[in-house]
Amino acid sequence: MKIRKFILPFVVAIFWQGQLNAQTAQQIVDKMDEVANEATDQKTELKIILIDKNGKESTRTATLKSKGDDRMLFRFTSPESQAGISILSLPNGVMYLYLPAYAKERRINASSKGQKFAGTDFCYEDMEVSTIGDKYDAKILSENAETWTLEMNPKPEEKTIYSKLNIIVNKSNYYPQSIEFFHKKTGLKSKKLSNTKIEKIDGHWVATEMEMVDLKSNHKTKMEIESIKFNNGFANDEFSLRELKK
Amino acid sequence: MEKLAKFIIKSRYWIIALTLVITLVLGSFIKNLQINPDILSYLPKDDSVSVLFDQIGEKYGGNQTAVIGFKTDDIFTTNAFKTIEQITDSAEAFDGVSTVISLTNVIDIKEVDSVLEIGKLINEEQFPLSDNELKDLKKYVLSKDMYKGTLVSEDATMTMIAIKFSEGVDKTKSAVLLQKKINKIHTSGKLYYGGLPYMLKNVGDIILNDIIFLGPLAFLVIAITLFFGFKSFSGVVLPLLSVGIAIIWTLGLMALFKYEITLVSNVSPIILLAVGSAYTIHVLNRINETTESDYHKKVQVALSYIIVPVFFASLTTMVGFVSFVFGSYLTMISSFGLFTALGVLFSLLLSVSFVPALLTSFKNKEKANFVKVKPNRKESKMILAFLKRINNLVFNHPKYIISVWAIIVIVFILGTFKIQRKVDMLDYFKKDDSGRLAEEMLREKFGGTLPVYITIKGNIQSPEVLKMMRKTEDYLESLPEISHAQSVADLIEEMNNIMGEGKIIPNDEGKIFNLWFLLEGQDIMEQLVSSDLDEGLIQGTLNTSDSKLMNRVVDKIQLFINNNKSNDFEIEQTGFPSIYKKLDKSLIKSQFQSLIIAIMLVFLAVAGLLKSVTKGFFASIPIIVTLIVLFGFMGFTGIPLDVATVLVGSISIGIGVDYAIHMITHYNYEFKKYGKIKEALEQSIKISGKSITINVVSVTFGFIVLLFSRLVPLQRFGALVGVTMITSGLATLTLLPAIIILSNRYLPKLFTINSLNTFVKKGINTTKEKLH
Repeated sequence: MKIRKFILPFVVAIFWQGQLNAQTAQQIVDKMDEVANEATDQKTELKIILIDKNGKESTRTATLKSKGDDRMLFRFTSPESQAGISILSLPNGVMYLYLPAYAKERRINASSKGQKFAGTDFCYEDMEVSTIGDKYDAKILSENAETWTLEMNPKPEEKTIYSKLNIIVNKSNYYPQSIEFFHKKTGLKSKKLSNTKIEKIDGHWVATEMEMVDLKSNHKTKMEIESIKFNNGFANDEFSLRELKK
Repeated sequence: MEKLAKFIIKSRYWIIALTLVITLVLGSFIKNLQINPDILSYLPKDDSVSVLFDQIGEKYGGNQTAVIGFKTDDIFTTNAFKTIEQITDSAEAFDGVSTVISLTNVIDIKEVDSVLEIGKLINEEQFPLSDNELKDLKKYVLSKDMYKGTLVSEDATMTMIAIKFSEGVDKTKSAVLLQKKINKIHTSGKLYYGGLPYMLKNVGDIILNDIIFLGPLAFLVIAITLFFGFKSFSGVVLPLLSVGIAIIWTLGLMALFKYEITLVSNVSPIILLAVGSAYTIHVLNRINETTESDYHKKVQVALSYIIVPVFFASLTTMVGFVSFVFGSYLTMISSFGLFTALGVLFSLLLSVSFVPALLTSFKNKEKANFVKVKPNRKESKMILAFLKRINNLVFNHPKYIISVWAIIVIVFILGTFKIQRKVDMLDYFKKDDSGRLAEEMLREKFGGTLPVYITIKGNIQSPEVLKMMRKTEDYLESLPEISHAQSVADLIEEMNNIMGEGKIIPNDEGKIFNLWFLLEGQDIMEQLVSSDLDEGLIQGTLNTSDSKLMNRVVDKIQLFINNNKSNDFEIEQTGFPSIYKKLDKSLIKSQFQSLIIAIMLVFLAVAGLLKSVTKGFFASIPIIVTLIVLFGFMGFTGIPLDVATVLVGSISIGIGVDYAIHMITHYNYEFKKYGKIKEALEQSIKISGKSITINVVSVTFGFIVLLFSRLVPLQRFGALVGVTMITSGLATLTLLPAIIILSNRYLPKLFTINSLNTFVKKGINTTKEKLH
């Protein structure tokens, strides 16, 4: 009796604590997703800097239009050799590629979500506009005055190329400061995204500078947002084959 | 010399103590000794072929591909794919691995229902595949040249996983660790480990095996021959002890100065064992033959006589090895020469200091039975009877002897023209060697594992360069020695085809840029083009390791390169055949250089020792005859000149000339004593002849141990040294005396006046004065 009296409150306390954490973690994630997806659409001018393991840089620029979480038109504007190459992403994973030198569009299949996107260290899965809270269960690993560190484990039914993510979220704006990606097969940390500059533009928090490092190959991709405009009122037909070929 | 002999006996305890200390100190380093079987590292670091090869390693994620073959009834089953996936994943996660290519992660460019897909052949999310999917996949894979015969065998019973290691990683060691890890995976089939890292690993294992098993075996064999030669405990123990110490010193020094044991230097201990024991044998023999009642005096007298001939004998042997240092482009050969020469020097020093010091330390003769050398009568009789026959033969039929040798020389000269240069690296291994079997299996199913690399410098996104790449690939594939070739041009053509413009390189650079965009970030690109896009790599797979064919491939490719020069690009080749050719060529070249240097140096040394050019020439005759017999023998028996057998020439000069030196110095000594050629020769044949005979037998048996080596070149090496030792000994015992007798008969001036050294002349003069 004595034992039970002693242990029961303890077990309950642990159980409670777990519940409490889970709730809080989930709340943080929900809030984080809300902050990230506030705008209905956006038009961005991007500078993409690829840095190889020897520190050699190559720069390209692109414009990106997106609407909701399933329409995107991505177009390279420089260097000259790549200017005009465009990718159109439509609902249900339908994707088209436009190659200006061939003056032809081709339906493409980014056959694996783990494939790198256009030579960057971002893969197609990273580029997906989606709400992270729908795919992952969150758990607070630690917290300090400024940040929470969350461990995100994929929900059982979700097919993802990562075994888990560790996200550091800023308490003041619910914006992620960094994400560490763990490879599904090896379980090892494979990539790290750092949002090096986070600004509030037109009332929306946005990372205007970010860096993704492939920890195995030591290849880096820096993305800098040169301009961004929210809520442009894009119609669905702005994401069409006709637009792609323009 | 007397002073030196006295000094040695006086400081005997110091010598013993010093020897022990040095042995303990140097011996403690031996555990650090490393084996380096990587023949690709044997070329100097600044060699152009080697530099390019290393650059390819750095730029394209490795230059040595380890290949794991997985064989089972049908590759396209759920179980087999699970195995391939497990192997691929473990290899990818393995430290030091830069890239892995297998069926489960290879790039694929295809068009399905007019949708372009660039990605992996199988997506990670697709696993496990259903039976129907596997059936379709099998059909698809076997229909594509990119996979058929390269990743999957045509009969679909075997697949391979190609693994490259990062530059700066010990590839052989990593390959071994990886193999251990992968062997833990449960598979339903059989795994084969091939490619350079595993081939080299096998060579390394064999080197180690040889040192561990053949060393002691050689010890034992030489001990047995010594026992029959001397029939005494000390006659066995002292030569082996002194040479054992010399070997410890040599290996200790190698470890101390961070030299590694190579494919060549692993025979060093056996050479030292065979050669070095001779010096102690000569010392002991001389002590035996010296008639002095006081043991210390006896040793001292013997020593003061024997130091000079033993010194010169070892000097010439050292010269034979040092000639490798001068003549060699390859560090493995020069370090082999250097350290073996040092080992010889140590053997010499120990035989004239440590051995007599040990002998005289037990000065109480009654109690010191075990160090007293008692010649066995029966055995000595056998040798003496043999020498007596030779003696009779020499004196009764000198012309016959010379004629017989002349015929032998002529016949064997003909044989030298038949010497083969054809070496297949696979032939290094015995037929049932597991590494060889794996390599043969991979060759049968995938056309080989050894790489040929061609780099094209230029703007690799230009149509000209890409077309040249394609042309080079076509050329490589037209060569019977090359099974397949790949480059980035294949992928560009494949995609151009999917864009509806045919399987060709587009003429429009803009189109190439567009296609290139799709390839960016694909893992395989790192293995095909430099990050600056100023160089592309064409990789061919070699289906042979036959030196002759490899040389031909290198020459043909070079011709192709020369015929296709352009301002737009610069083509270069490297890879296994290029390195092998360079290695082989410099090996042969340096061997012949060192052979010539050795002959010259030995001639100078002997002429200096005997203070006579003529005698130097005479002493050289048995060696030259031996060399002719050696190369003729190789020609007749079909033993090719390879990394090991090419060393025999210089070694046989070094060892063989010892016999002639002993013979001639002894002859001089006796001639001084008797003043008559007949007696002098008789005594020389009797006493030096015995040492020579024992030495020939023990050296030959010592080297014959190499017949048990698992490396075929070392087996041949052992047999050849045996042949040269016997020839050299016989030539010294028969041909040399016959020449002395005949030259004395027909050219008396030559041998009695002109060429006698001043020492002998003085002796004659004093005798003459006394007579008067």
